[in-house]
Amino acid sequence: MKILKLEYLKLKKKTRSWLGPILVFWLIMIAYPLTVEFLQDKLEIGFFSVLWIAILISMMLATEDIFIEDYNDGTLEQIVIKNSSFQFLISMRIVMYWLMIGIPVSVLSFIFTLGTSEDLVLSLSIIPLSMISSYIFLNLFVLGNALSLNKGSLLGALLTMPLALPVLIVLGKSLISIQLGINFLEFILLLLGCLSIIIIVVPIIVSYIIKAHLE
Amino acid sequence: MSKDFIVNAENISYRVNGNKLFHNLSFTIEEGEALHVQGSNGSGKSTLIRIILGITKQTKGNILVNTNKEICYLGHKNALKNYLNLEDNIELMELNKQSDLKKYIEILGLKKLLDVNVANLSYGQQKKLALLRLFLNESDLIVLDEPLVGLDRETQEILNNFLVDQLNKNKAVIYTSHISCPIDSKELLLK
Repeated sequence: MKILKLEYLKLKKKTRSWLGPILVFWLIMIAYPLTVEFLQDKLEIGFFSVLWIAILISMMLATEDIFIEDYNDGTLEQIVIKNSSFQFLISMRIVMYWLMIGIPVSVLSFIFTLGTSEDLVLSLSIIPLSMISSYIFLNLFVLGNALSLNKGSLLGALLTMPLALPVLIVLGKSLISIQLGINFLEFILLLLGCLSIIIIVVPIIVSYIIKAHLE
Repeated sequence: MSKDFIVNAENISYRVNGNKLFHNLSFTIEEGEALHVQGSNGSGKSTLIRIILGITKQTKGNILVNTNKEICYLGHKNALKNYLNLEDNIELMELNKQSDLKKYIEILGLKKLLDVNVANLSYGQQKKLALLRLFLNESDLIVLDEPLVGLDRETQEILNNFLVDQLNKNKAVIYTSHISCPIDSKELLLK
């Protein structure tokens, strides 16, 4: 809890880091209806594709400076020489980013879906999908950022983008099953399965990558 | 009673881009001892410190650091957050519950600056804030990489007295500089 509190203190004061991705998500979702006719069936055609891509982009932006500042100011060196678990700290940082950015984006996803589809059941189904997918995307982009720690965040995002593509496919399929009224729980379980592996593996790999960068 | 060793280095060497930075260095530091690493710019002082801390790996030789001992490190980078004020930085360093915090804030003249963002402080004031991490540490090994840079004479004196006090408490100190060391210590000269 103490680590989470300290991570919260840091992220809360970095308004640009948490508000920026949420605003970008909001702007994309606001801009989407302007590009198509304001008829419900027309709006729904591309809405969900835009929604998933907006989540992907906002999570990519969220992780842009997740380690670079600590790397430049010497905080990472202080963390590495302490005996406490570096992997655990990385996990907690991702959790805090998810709580501060992923959750608001998921709530906004619900609101925009409800506004577009006027279907409460469909909109409620979007919440777990966006929550899980945002957490997966965060982890993947954190990995990318660690890989390109002192070479710019775009390179890292490009490196890990292919790993996000299967998640986008599963999100598309789960949405079709929701719209057809088929049980979509299997897709949620599949995403949760992927997430359970990712949340263990990513912090371990990231800690080794960062130590290699420091060396 | 025999003293515990803190760091034991045997014939350590480091090469960078094929060039030798230092070669076959050996030293031991026990409880209550200080090691002063002296050398000119680029002689490898900071690299040696990073090897001792386990951040960088030596190219040859063995180094053993007593892993039961906690390490307090103050390097060139102060590990401070520019967008936070002093009070928040102190909380981030997890020093806000230390009993001597108020005393050292007073001594270092930081009391009036507690609600000022670190970005608005001078380098010397930032260094003083970083010194809090050192003054409030409970570590057995204190590692300082050119700690006097940016400090006024008065703060240098406070730091020297603090280090002497720590040595009397049986703590070990590793200290780099390109000038002579103000505390009683073993000397290691890097060329």
